[in-house]
This record gives sequence, structure tokens and C-alpha cells, in this order.
Amino acid sequence: MIKFHNVSKIYRPDVKALNQVNLHIKPGEFVSVVGQSGTGKTTMIKTLIGEERADQGKIIVGGWDITNIKQPEIPFLRRQIGVIFQDFKLLNQKTLFENVSFALQVCGHTPKKIRNIVPQVLKIVGLEDKIHRYPKEVSGGEQQRAAIARALVHRPKILLADEPTGNLDSINAQEIIDLLLKINKFGTTIVLVTHNREIVNKLKRRVITIENGIIAKDQEGGKYVL
Amino acid sequence: MFILSFFRVIKFSLQDMFRNIWLTVVTITILVLALFSVNMLLTLNIITRTAINSIKDKIDINLYLKPTASEDKILSLKAEISGYSQVKKIDYISKAEALESFKSKHQNDPEVLEALRQLGENPLTPTLVIKANNLEQYNELAAKLNKIKSDIIESRNFDNHKLIISKIENISRKINEVGIFVSLVFIAVSILVVYNAIKVAIYTHRREIGIMKLVGASNWFVKSPFLISGIIYALIGVVLIVVIFYAFLMLLQPYLEVFFSGYSIDIVLYFSKNFIYIFGIEFIVAAIINILASFTALGRYSKV
Repeated sequence: MIKFHNVSKIYRPDVKALNQVNLHIKPGEFVSVVGQSGTGKTTMIKTLIGEERADQGKIIVGGWDITNIKQPEIPFLRRQIGVIFQDFKLLNQKTLFENVSFALQVCGHTPKKIRNIVPQVLKIVGLEDKIHRYPKEVSGGEQQRAAIARALVHRPKILLADEPTGNLDSINAQEIIDLLLKINKFGTTIVLVTHNREIVNKLKRRVITIENGIIAKDQEGGKYVL
Repeated sequence: MFILSFFRVIKFSLQDMFRNIWLTVVTITILVLALFSVNMLLTLNIITRTAINSIKDKIDINLYLKPTASEDKILSLKAEISGYSQVKKIDYISKAEALESFKSKHQNDPEVLEALRQLGENPLTPTLVIKANNLEQYNELAAKLNKIKSDIIESRNFDNHKLIISKIENISRKINEVGIFVSLVFIAVSILVVYNAIKVAIYTHRREIGIMKLVGASNWFVKSPFLISGIIYALIGVVLIVVIFYAFLMLLQPYLEVFFSGYSIDIVLYFSKNFIYIFGIEFIVAAIINILASFTALGRYSKV
């Protein structure tokens, strides 16, 4: 599903965020990417959504070589990859329903389709009773659920989660991880970037450890070890 | 899908404008000021053109003929002069016509009329009144008329009106130059203001833009609301200037009629006849300026 062949990304003047990275994530996998701050985890996510370009190597997503992706193709890539972040990135002046609808509106979907899909997705994440609430009126965990709903609304094959539990207490964090596991069960490949040792160890899934831009460890059923 | 996206873009664009209402008001105000100065320049142009034409209309060359000149000789001289390439029009005013005209001009001046009566005979001479095709040809025509050797010509009045015309044209050119300079300043200011308005709009919407890009909005969809805002600014600006400028012209018209009495000048009619041409071009130019400003601001302040 995701392949990195000798991928390097250098920030000027000489910071190697990714250094000759080789990686293969299969369809339906649940992979945790761990490492200290500034080791290249977020850069990896950015290269996968076309926000950054690799300076060397090749990146393939779902059979699509996106190494030199053209600007007009980026929106189509992003409709196939869902992304969630630590700060949720919700629009505060819109309700949860409107936030999720927004993702479909900007891609030109009809109001009828939006009215059908959005409540379904919000139900999957457990927010069916709060669809008309504004982000400020719900908890952090619920905001992250809404962000997940928005990421899922395009039915992506891959969901990238960049520190999704960073702003949440342990109970809410666990609920989000449970939700990601549930989405993974439907067949969506999950890439979870996290600092949360407890969560990674409890997951007992594949763990990729990045240190100074290189893959230091790649273990099935691995643990958070730095 | 395209129509749906198009309407959504317009909706987002209007939302942006209302959320930043003061920015919208300032941008439109500057646009209106720029358009007002451009229309003012046009009005000045029309007024100076009318003034010059009214003076041009008064310029002619008078060839005074001897009172004893026979009608045959006068008509043959007239025919000869009218054959000149520089001549636009030639009128023969007979002694009797000259007297009638003189009397009617001085009908309220009893002393002059009494003096004329005491003379007992018509003291006026027949005249040929000649108009040239254009101002530049008067010198040429005067030179040619000076060369005519005819025993019926009594005197030749070749006043040099060219100096007055060139002075007026000089003044009008200077007025135009100042007008163009003022208009250019306003246009430059409006470009900067629109540019800054869109820059601020992009800054206040950076989070929304980021999210739009994140969820797969095309560049077109992200950029279009700002471009549409530019066109809407231009449209509102032109509609306002139509209302404001027509009111201004209505106030100006009576003063112009008094100033140019005897000459037809209808500034309101001129703008009405050329409405589409004047305001259509102003809208297109304003919209293009706004769109270019939007594109520059988007290119620089939003990596989309």
C-alpha cells in the first residue's frame, strides 16, 4: 500500500529529516511510527500527502508513484488518504456536521449525497447525537472523532494519524485508538505516529522506530523502545 | 458538478466579504474614488472639447468688398474662393443683409440706430465670410486670399485666432495631464488596497484554506472565492459610481448650460448614450485589476 525506496528529505542547509528510508506497509496493516521529536516522523506523513517532496528515492501510494506528483494531482491524492492531527483542525464556526460536510462540499459532491453520507460516518465514530454541536461544545476526544469522521468521509484506503492522542487524556486517547482499530478492521490501512508508549505497547502491532531520519527498528508486535 | 461547485464558490466568496465587512467597505470606497477621478477626467475632456469647438466655430475670415461691387463679380469671386481646398464654407452677405443684421444686433441701442438713420444710406459693405476646414489651414488660406488680385476687395480682416486656440488647447492638455496623474495615483492606490484586502482575507482564512487543501479541494476551488470577491468588488464599485456620478452630473448640468449658453452641451446625455461603453470598460478594467491583485496575493501568501 505504501512503499518508500531510498527516500531522503533534506531541509536546508543540511538537516536530513529522512535519510535513505526503505519501507513497505501492506494493505490493511496497522503500523505505529515512533521516535523522538524532530526525527522525521511528521516529514514522512508530509511526503505521503504531497505537502513535501522527497529529494531522493521513490514513494509509491496504492500503486501510484507520487515522488514527483504534479500540483493539480495533489487534491486527488488527498481524497484517497485520510489525515488526522493532534490539533484536530476543525473549523470552530461550523458544526460537526458542517465540518464533515465541508470535505465533501469542496470536492463537488451533491447536497443529497452529503445528507446521506455525513450522518452515517458520524454514527461510525459515535457522534450521531452531537452532529449539530460546535467543536467548542464537545470534548477533545469528540473533536478528534469528528476529525476522524471528516478523514473517513472520502472512504480512504489509508488513514494517517499524526499524534492523534497528543491533546487527550488517557481515557479519550484509548477511545480514539479503539476507533482506529475498528476502522482498521474494515480494511483501512492505519499509520499511527505517536509518542504514547502505553498505547504502542498495548497495541502489539508493527512498530517502526525512526532515529535521526533513518529506520532504526521495524518489528512486528513490537514495543516502544527508544 | 461544475455548476454546484461554482455556486459554492460564490457562496464562500460572499461569506468572506461579509465576515470582513470593514475590509470590503474600504476596498470598495477606494475603488469608487479611483473610478470617480477617471470619470471626472472624462467629464473635463468633454467640457474642454465643447469649449474649444465653440471657439473654433466663431473663427472665420471676412473679406470686405467695395459697396459698388456688382453682384456678378461678387458671385464669381465667391465661386473662385470656394474652389480652394482649404475652404469648408463660404457665405455671401449682401449690403442689405449686413444692414439687417447690424440693425437687429443694435436694436436696443437707439443712438446707433439714430446715427444710421441720419446717414441716410447703407454704409455697410458686402462681405464674404469664409471658414476653413480646420484651424491649421487658416494661415495657408489667408496667404492665398492675400494673393487674390481683385478690384472689388476693399479690405481683408485676417485676425489671428490661432493663438487663442493654441492657448486653450494648452490649458486643456494640462488639465488632462493632471487628471491622468490623479487617476493613475488612485488606480495605484486601489491596486494596493485590493491587494492588501485579499492578503488579509487569505491570512484570516489560512486555517480554512489549510483544511480545504487537506481534505482534497482543488486549487481552483481554493482560489476562486478570492477571485470572485475581486469581481464582486468591481461590480459594486461600478454600480455605486453610476449612482454617485449621475447625481453629480445632474448638479453640474445647469451650470454648464449657463456657461455654454448658445451651444449645446448635455453631459448627462453623453454619459447615457455611452453608458455601456464607459461603465462597461470601467467594470472590465477594475475587475482585471482586482483579479490580478488577487492572483499576486494568492501566489505570494497562500501556497495553494
